[in-house]
Amino acid sequence: MATAHEHTPPLVTGNLGFRDITQLVSYHTEKRPPAMWYLVFAVSSTLLVMLLAMIAYLFWNGIGVWGNNNPVGWGWPIVNFVFWVGIGHAGTLISAILFLFRQQWRTAINRSAEAMTLFAVICALLFPTIHVGRVWVIYWTLPIPNQMEMWPQFKSPLLWDVFAVSVYFTVSLVFWYVGLIPDLGTLRDRARTPLRRRLMAFLALGWTGANRHWRNYEKAYLLLAALATPLVLSVHSVVSFDFAVSIVPGWHTTIFPPYFVAGAIFSGFAMVMTLLIIARGVYGIRNIITLDHLEKMAIIILVTGTMVGFAYITEYFIAWYSQVEYEQYAFLNRSTGPYAWAYWIMMSCNLLFPQFFWIKRLRRSIPFLFVTSIIVNIGMWFERFVITVTSLHRDFLPSSWDYFNPTIVDMLTLAGSFGLFLTLFLLFLRFLPMVAMAEVKMVLPESDPHFYDKSA
Amino acid sequence: MITLPLLEKPQQSMKQWRSLPQLHEDAAFAERMGEEVIPAADPPSRRQFMQVMGASMAMAGLVACRRPVQKVLPFARQPEDMIPGIPLHYATSMPFRGAARPILVKSSDGRPTKIEGNALHPASTGATSPFEQAALLSLYDPDRSRTILQRGQPAAWEDFTETCAQLGDGSRHLAVLAAPNSSVTLARLRAQLADRFAAVDWVTYRSEGDDTCTLGIQTAFGQPLRPVYDFSGAKVVVSLDADFLGPTSHNFAHAAQAFAQNRSVDAMGRLYVAESTYSITGGMADHRMRIRASDIGALAADLAGRLGAGPRSAGATASDVFIQTVADDLRQAGSKGIVLAGESQPAEVHALCAVINAHLGSIGDTVQLLDTGEEQQAAQHEAVSSLTERMRAGEIDAVMMLGVNPAYDAPTELDFAGALASVPLSVHVDMHRNETARLATWHIPATHFLEAWGDSRAYDGTLAIVQPLVAPLHENARSEIEVLAVLATRNTQNAYELVRDALRGVLPEPFEAGWRQALHDGFVDGTAYPSVAVTDATLPDVSLSADAGIEVVFRLDPTVLDGSFANNAWCQELPDPVTKIVWDNVAAMSPATAEVLGVRAKYSKGRYNADILTLSRSGRSIELPVWIVPGHADNSITVTLGYGREIDNVRPERRTPVWDTDDKTDIYARGALANGVGQNVAVLRDVAARAISTDIKVAPSGRDYRIVTTQDHGVLDIEARPLLRLGTLEEYRDNPHFALEEEAPTPGSDHKTDFQNYPALWENSHPADSPVMRDSNYYRNQWGMVIDLNTCTGCGTCVLACQAENNIQVVGKEEVGNGRELHWLRLDRYFVSRTGTDLTDDPEMVLQPVPCQHCENAPCEAVCPVAATVHSPDGTNQMIYNRCIGTRYCANNCPYKVRRFNYFNWAKTIPETVQMAQNPQVTVRSRGVMEKCSFCVQRIRSAQRTSRLEDRDLARNEVRTACQQACPTDAITFGDLNDRESDVSRQRRDPRAYTMLAELAVKPRVAYLARIRNPNASIS
Repeated sequence: MATAHEHTPPLVTGNLGFRDITQLVSYHTEKRPPAMWYLVFAVSSTLLVMLLAMIAYLFWNGIGVWGNNNPVGWGWPIVNFVFWVGIGHAGTLISAILFLFRQQWRTAINRSAEAMTLFAVICALLFPTIHVGRVWVIYWTLPIPNQMEMWPQFKSPLLWDVFAVSVYFTVSLVFWYVGLIPDLGTLRDRARTPLRRRLMAFLALGWTGANRHWRNYEKAYLLLAALATPLVLSVHSVVSFDFAVSIVPGWHTTIFPPYFVAGAIFSGFAMVMTLLIIARGVYGIRNIITLDHLEKMAIIILVTGTMVGFAYITEYFIAWYSQVEYEQYAFLNRSTGPYAWAYWIMMSCNLLFPQFFWIKRLRRSIPFLFVTSIIVNIGMWFERFVITVTSLHRDFLPSSWDYFNPTIVDMLTLAGSFGLFLTLFLLFLRFLPMVAMAEVKMVLPESDPHFYDKSA
Repeated sequence: MITLPLLEKPQQSMKQWRSLPQLHEDAAFAERMGEEVIPAADPPSRRQFMQVMGASMAMAGLVACRRPVQKVLPFARQPEDMIPGIPLHYATSMPFRGAARPILVKSSDGRPTKIEGNALHPASTGATSPFEQAALLSLYDPDRSRTILQRGQPAAWEDFTETCAQLGDGSRHLAVLAAPNSSVTLARLRAQLADRFAAVDWVTYRSEGDDTCTLGIQTAFGQPLRPVYDFSGAKVVVSLDADFLGPTSHNFAHAAQAFAQNRSVDAMGRLYVAESTYSITGGMADHRMRIRASDIGALAADLAGRLGAGPRSAGATASDVFIQTVADDLRQAGSKGIVLAGESQPAEVHALCAVINAHLGSIGDTVQLLDTGEEQQAAQHEAVSSLTERMRAGEIDAVMMLGVNPAYDAPTELDFAGALASVPLSVHVDMHRNETARLATWHIPATHFLEAWGDSRAYDGTLAIVQPLVAPLHENARSEIEVLAVLATRNTQNAYELVRDALRGVLPEPFEAGWRQALHDGFVDGTAYPSVAVTDATLPDVSLSADAGIEVVFRLDPTVLDGSFANNAWCQELPDPVTKIVWDNVAAMSPATAEVLGVRAKYSKGRYNADILTLSRSGRSIELPVWIVPGHADNSITVTLGYGREIDNVRPERRTPVWDTDDKTDIYARGALANGVGQNVAVLRDVAARAISTDIKVAPSGRDYRIVTTQDHGVLDIEARPLLRLGTLEEYRDNPHFALEEEAPTPGSDHKTDFQNYPALWENSHPADSPVMRDSNYYRNQWGMVIDLNTCTGCGTCVLACQAENNIQVVGKEEVGNGRELHWLRLDRYFVSRTGTDLTDDPEMVLQPVPCQHCENAPCEAVCPVAATVHSPDGTNQMIYNRCIGTRYCANNCPYKVRRFNYFNWAKTIPETVQMAQNPQVTVRSRGVMEKCSFCVQRIRSAQRTSRLEDRDLARNEVRTACQQACPTDAITFGDLNDRESDVSRQRRDPRAYTMLAELAVKPRVAYLARIRNPNASIS
């Protein structure tokens, strides 16, 4: 692996050595978690239980417990689905694409970002599953040989979705796990109790740190990165097809795939930022996840946010240029209709706020970064809301126009999905190394074989 | 010890039977069956027990080698013509507002499941109004009264007959308050009553008040004649507040049918409407003027003056141009001109119209006057108030109330309840334990007309037998005839015999043959009332009201009538044709009046919160939410009767645990569903129950109330979205293809092809043309539909016909408010304004029926992940319920938004009796699946089956969808597009034909024919 250049700011500050990093990261999986952890876990697991209760209520009574209605067949569940899938983009992007582009700063954040990806995708998968009317036969969307001799209908984007998201989840999981192996080996070696040693030994797949192991590991990691890279782009493109393939004005747009991918990266980075700003404070790893890392993420947020904003404006141009009444009305209705408030929340959160990152002082200000990262995710949730709901509520026939009002069940289910996400993330923080120790060590100046030559 | 209950006894509250022999033999049959299997049982000894158990074990082993044996019991004797699963149709008729509506009832294995018009009958031609469709559900109404009550306590029929027998000393004074009825049997019993009682006061009672039409004719011609208008031959029709196309109209099917012929573009008449509220007749008008209902008298007088039929009134009015044009047009039309007044208008206006018609010479030509044989009559309000006076004075010993509900709808000034209390014996016969039932000393549950024998005369007088299709669902129910017979003859008589006795001499001889023929046809040919020729008409005194204040007009409700359909879920959920409001009544007014009153119907986030208006008159007041109707007359408020009912609960309420929403989503959960819906406006009327009041005080109450509609307000910009296409007759003659030309040009430089032939994305491998489709036998027929907007009035019959045919569930006000109504066919109402006018003042109104368009390139099909919606070889878009997982993607992608989703398990909670109303040929959908119009695929398949069994080809136009069949104007045409000579193919070639949203290239199979209006050039 390449070494850090001396003229760039160090990726790890505080003059940490290999041992320090091991100690700093592993330590948290071995000791009792801080009080803060228990507090947040209590809240998140309560939300998780509430989610389960809401799902049970939904399954017992039917989709009518939500706000969906006749023109608006898809309401919050699909908004939440796209939202969570979007969040699930940052991890694999950081691990795979930035890896291929040799962006070494990724090492500090990739582990937690990937974990976040997996948990976000779990949340995402939940929603399309529970949003169908007859959940007990949802397996009919899978191409399983059956007595009806029926295949799924391959022309449906929903089916592509099933494949895209499940493949993405599988590859991300494998990628994450492969990356974990050296660190699991470290944890095994540090384990104090036989049970923990055994468990970690099992999970580390016999990792010894031998040269041969490292060679195979790095090859596998590279190949998986190459495999995951197109998936990062494809999964949200396919999700966007759910909309783009339809004929609903406001959905039927060719700009959707790149626009969705940019939006996904945008929201994913914002979520990583939110979580890591808290985690680095709570766990005292400010030297590993440094302000430089956060600044780089802020730059990505700025770039993708601007791309997304550009797409918003392009849609208006195309609507005007198309001369199609329905298309024009759909966009006019977005910005001036009954959901204009949602549209302007989206515009200000996604296009306006990230522009502050042009100012270096602001993109290095932890409070500002934290607030903006949350604002961006609010904006991105509203983007999906605007796309899904405002397009549906007024389409071709004015006689069918209606308004969508969420119910309390909608709201609690969304809140509950955060409970699911946070619970999984907190368990990850508790039991697994939140930073890829092996990879961070590789970017230390000491990992350069000639480091000591130079210093001497 | 071991009791084997072999035949589980059915619940006795309802008895279903298939044939008389079976009915009689049931008891004996069950007994025999029992004996055969259970030996006269002593308690078995231990030894016997072992024997039985041993044998059982051995047989259990044997069973494992065989398919389980299940017994299906056949009819002991198969009734003639009955094949289980094959429905039978019986002709009968439905008494409705005093006249018979001829119907054909479908009976599925012994239970009526659908009502259709009797195509043989001259007054129906197979069409119905929404009320005939809904009457089916009234039969199965779970809130029907089930027990005879004496002072609120259950009593037996014998107790009642006993009481009646004691009345018979010939000295008593009886009063009968009966709904209008044309039954011969009832008339005969009425005559018999006169023998038994010292005096009989027979008062015909209509909830809406006086029969002003008959009274008006009586004023003009001295006789209570019944007018029949032949709109088909009329050149000019002038409706003065007359909603003759509306479903409450007496002669609905005939009027609508005739008017549809009048709309033919080859010989188009002209319709002028002057009315206060927007009615569907107003929507069909070529010229419509909004005018206060109380000013119509002046308008009629002015019109008569200009035509020379009356004194010329002085001074020009604001509507001068309109009246002059109408007068000129009428004069030109001569005997082909018709002027008619609405039911809310006083008798003088009706008389004035009769005078004008007589002056034009149209009486005997386009207007027939029928002699119903009735004598001169006093106004109802006089009869009713004199009766209540005498009741209060203790002069009446007994009062019978047959199918009326005066405690609910009589004007409160009459204090009917108080008067009733001073009558020692009062008998109330009705299907519900309603407001009057609680006050009467006796309440007898009435039978539905499908349960009891009777007879009735159609509007034109054609006699019809009311033939029951099912034994009374509730054993205590009696028909009005039977109850009256007890009073008249002192003993219980069979209605069947009573009707036969009454019709002896009326039916053609020999009696048995005539009877059978009448039952078969549903009517007796040649029994129509004779038309009479009248010459001189007396000009009535028209008292012109100078009052320009706010008037309140009481009208029958287009969906629940006078409240008799209020407990009918289909009617409650049928949107009002104009306002699209469900489950409520409102005070409708114009935007300007609302502004003056400072009220509005606020729309925010999908909810209408209408300000509540307090209407009060001499101490009584009611609170009604306001509704703003574009095109309503200023200073006028329209309210409808029939709401605010209070029916006793006869069922347990549904209670479910907190996690179960069944009690909230079930419309039947909390007792009678009419209760708590809307307000009873009848109490506000003056003592004469006049339809127009000018002395009602109106003030905003400061509160508001949620109103639920199936459609937002909205004026359609006709240029931008050519969803409905309109033109004038002149435009049509200049360019018959004007409708098609409003379509967007096809992409490409040449614009050569049209969208109907535009290539699809996968044109080369279109699923509809795959070998598996082409090889199918069904491929020969390609179904399509054409809807003529020129004749569609928007009455809503098709919506209910579809609901009855296709087991469409009712979801209730709350869920309609949530946008979850399930109607497969809806009527989109658009107000159309010409640019340059005030948009909301005088818009035109068009109603457009929208069923599934069965697109050839259906956008719904491509997006379903499980292939639950697919194309059939015969070109329909099919919904496979048991394949559907409910992603709702198809509904999102449907540009016509015709797909409906089962958000809850509505079918689960429908009461047992209502379950019997379901059509066995159509799946009852459960929760979580999508549904939509199927082009009545069950009817297509059943016709195909029949033709195959009969070894013949499917006849041209043989398949009729439910909406098409019920449509009174034949606006809907359905058939095979492969047959170039079928009605639908010919209509599709009509130059007016266009498809909605053709530019999406989805190729809908439903085409519309553009609406043509025939305006008078001198007005516009």
